[in-house]
Amino acid sequence: MRFSDLIRMSAGNLWRRKLRTILTVLGVVIGTASIIVMVSIGIGQNRSLMMAIEESGSLTSVQVYNWGRGSGEDQLLLNDSMLEDFLAIEHVESVSPRLNFNVVMKQGAYICEWLQLIGVDRATLEKIPLGEGRLPDKDAESLEFVVGNTVITNFYNEKTQEYYWETQKIPEVDFMNQPLFTIFDRDSYYQSQSGQGESPKKYLLQASGMVEGDINTWNQYSYGVYCDIDALKATLKKIFRNKVIPGQPTQKNGKPYSEFCYEEVFVNVDKMDHVQDVLSAIQEIGFEAYSDAEYVESMQQQSRTTQLVLGGIGAVSLFVAAIGIANTMMMSIYERTKEIGVLKVLGCAMGNIRTLFLMEAAFIGFIGGLVGIILSYAVSFLINKVAGNAMGNYYYYGSSVEASISYIPPWLALAALGFAVLIGIISGFLPALRAMKLSPLAAIRNE
Amino acid sequence: MAGKEPVIEVKNLYKIYKVGQNKVRALNGVDMTIYRGEFCSIVGTSGSGKSTMLNMLAGLEKPTKGTIKVAGQHIEKLSENQLVKFRREKVGFIFQSFNLLGTMNAVENVALPLSFRGVPKKVRLKKASEMLDLVGLKTQKKHRPNQMSGGQQQRVGVARALVVNPEIIFADEPTGNLDSHTSAEVMELMRKVVTEQNKTLVMVTHDNHLATFADRIFHIIDGKIVKVEERDHSRDMKISEAATVEELLQKSAMEDIIEPDASETEEAKKPEEALETLRQKEIQQVEQP
Ligand SMILES: Nc1ncnc2c1ncn2[C@@H]1O[C@H](COP(=O)(O)OP(=O)(O)OP(=O)(O)O)[C@@H](O)[C@H]1O
Ligand SMILES: [Mg+2]
Repeated sequence: MRFSDLIRMSAGNLWRRKLRTILTVLGVVIGTASIIVMVSIGIGQNRSLMMAIEESGSLTSVQVYNWGRGSGEDQLLLNDSMLEDFLAIEHVESVSPRLNFNVVMKQGAYICEWLQLIGVDRATLEKIPLGEGRLPDKDAESLEFVVGNTVITNFYNEKTQEYYWETQKIPEVDFMNQPLFTIFDRDSYYQSQSGQGESPKKYLLQASGMVEGDINTWNQYSYGVYCDIDALKATLKKIFRNKVIPGQPTQKNGKPYSEFCYEEVFVNVDKMDHVQDVLSAIQEIGFEAYSDAEYVESMQQQSRTTQLVLGGIGAVSLFVAAIGIANTMMMSIYERTKEIGVLKVLGCAMGNIRTLFLMEAAFIGFIGGLVGIILSYAVSFLINKVAGNAMGNYYYYGSSVEASISYIPPWLALAALGFAVLIGIISGFLPALRAMKLSPLAAIRNE
Repeated sequence: MAGKEPVIEVKNLYKIYKVGQNKVRALNGVDMTIYRGEFCSIVGTSGSGKSTMLNMLAGLEKPTKGTIKVAGQHIEKLSENQLVKFRREKVGFIFQSFNLLGTMNAVENVALPLSFRGVPKKVRLKKASEMLDLVGLKTQKKHRPNQMSGGQQQRVGVARALVVNPEIIFADEPTGNLDSHTSAEVMELMRKVVTEQNKTLVMVTHDNHLATFADRIFHIIDGKIVKVEERDHSRDMKISEAATVEELLQKSAMEDIIEPDASETEEAKKPEEALETLRQKEIQQVEQP
């Protein structure tokens, strides 16, 4: 028999029993849709994770820490010459140090006694999402900075001693339009507070920009006050001329080092595959180092498990649908015993009869799979809309990512369709064999 | 019959059914030869083994013992797959209960066996349509089986058996579900086809009268052929000077197309009746020892 004739005949048989076909197809629709939706949730989760990490760029970077800044026994210094050594390591593309410095800031009645200025390089500054203003100018006369969107809540009213966390009243601090009195020498400040010594010099500094978002949103830049690392170095050198800069280590004789020492350095690696090598190289030098790659791996493992479990739930419903297909096919063979007998008497090849029934089952799988795909896109859309809204702006691993709980990549839809057809064929297999083996005598017997 | 060429040769054929402890000898040592272009009927009482015989010849059932050679092939040795192929290529089948597919119309039903041979749709529908013309169903081509009378359905059945141009046509009680008048029409149709197209037709019936349409009649009792009757139908042609059998047939075929007025029907029936009475006499003659 020609392939077109086989298709026409099997489709015709399904069409003849419309209601039963529709009911059987419905089972496959639900089965396919639940598999797709379940797996899509796992994929969506994984994807949000990957997107968040890619955005923060931390997948290819190694964080190196030196909390004591070389004040320990070993005198291991994380300074610019060490960074040169890091750059010499194979696969290292760039290094980006961080220089942290704590200051006191004041505006009007409001004060923040512990505010960390973070000096970073240009590339890092440029990643900061700005809500208003501009990035700090490296060559500005006085130090400029970008203020994190939640920093304002660290200020309190000096006179009334009212804190934001008590009153929920946002302190009246205007970073963008008014200057802030900044004290770099916090030791002298505390001494003068307790009445000893004169109060240290105050500098008038101006913010150049604000990090995106209000005080209720959070991203990895929300808490910090960022400035250009070179500008910060220059400012500190000017203020603490010939003195030991607070927080910086000293030599055995008590004198400061000529270079700045960092607490934290990001080492950027060319490829994720090389992160582990670079990590061990740095750890060998003696630094504490850490990479997100390990964390990501465990997260991926976890999301794979989730996908398996969710997919399994879907698979159960498709399995039920498969039983439905087998049942329908069996019924239709019992009904058509005589007809099949006639076909055999008239010389329809056994293989053709088997193919006819397999095709019918495959059709059920195919149509069910197709409708199931459409249904699952609709359900996925709804989940993302409803649940996504309920969760508000969804932050994952320190970075904002479009909330997508369920994501159906094209390959998933195609694979599900193929799977549905396969399920159809498998469940149609036994009935088809049975039909093939029916006796042609059934056609002759008169009931 | 000049130059007799055997198409079916049956030797020492046995079919024994086991029902519990009992053995039913449906066929009990049958020998028979059927020649090309012959119209044979197998006649016998109910349970005498006619259907078993025919099923065996058409390769629908395996014999217990004996050989069946059809169109040069020993079909008792064939596998089920080969049997299907054998039927597809050599055999046409006419059923008692017509067995047309309810979802297909007349043309599609006739074209069905051609589709098993991989004939393209256009070609097979054209061929089927020609066949329906031949059996006198010009206007019912698009009718579904449930929109046709029994006689019309069996004509479709005959067309379906003929369309593949088979070497042998088997028919098991082809008129069993029809009234006597329609039965006669269908029998005439089959006769006409056999003579015109030089086909071999083997028909099973329990009706002695219908059996007389054949050239040879095999009488079967309890699974054994007890008598073979030869009939010469060449004389039939001379029965009516006014109309040959072919003309009669055409007339009866026309009845389905044009509603004939009463007088015409009367006329058409007269020679038929004459034919019938003559046949009755002949049977009596043969049966008298
Ligand atoms: N499948 C079977 N199993 C057991 N016995 C069977 C089977 N088929 C036929 N028989 C027996 O074989 C014998 C012949 O049956 P068969 O059908 O050939 O009769 P028949 O001549 O066609 O009768 P009828 O005119 O009623 O159709 C019967 O006695 C019947 O009971
Ligand atoms: Mg019978």
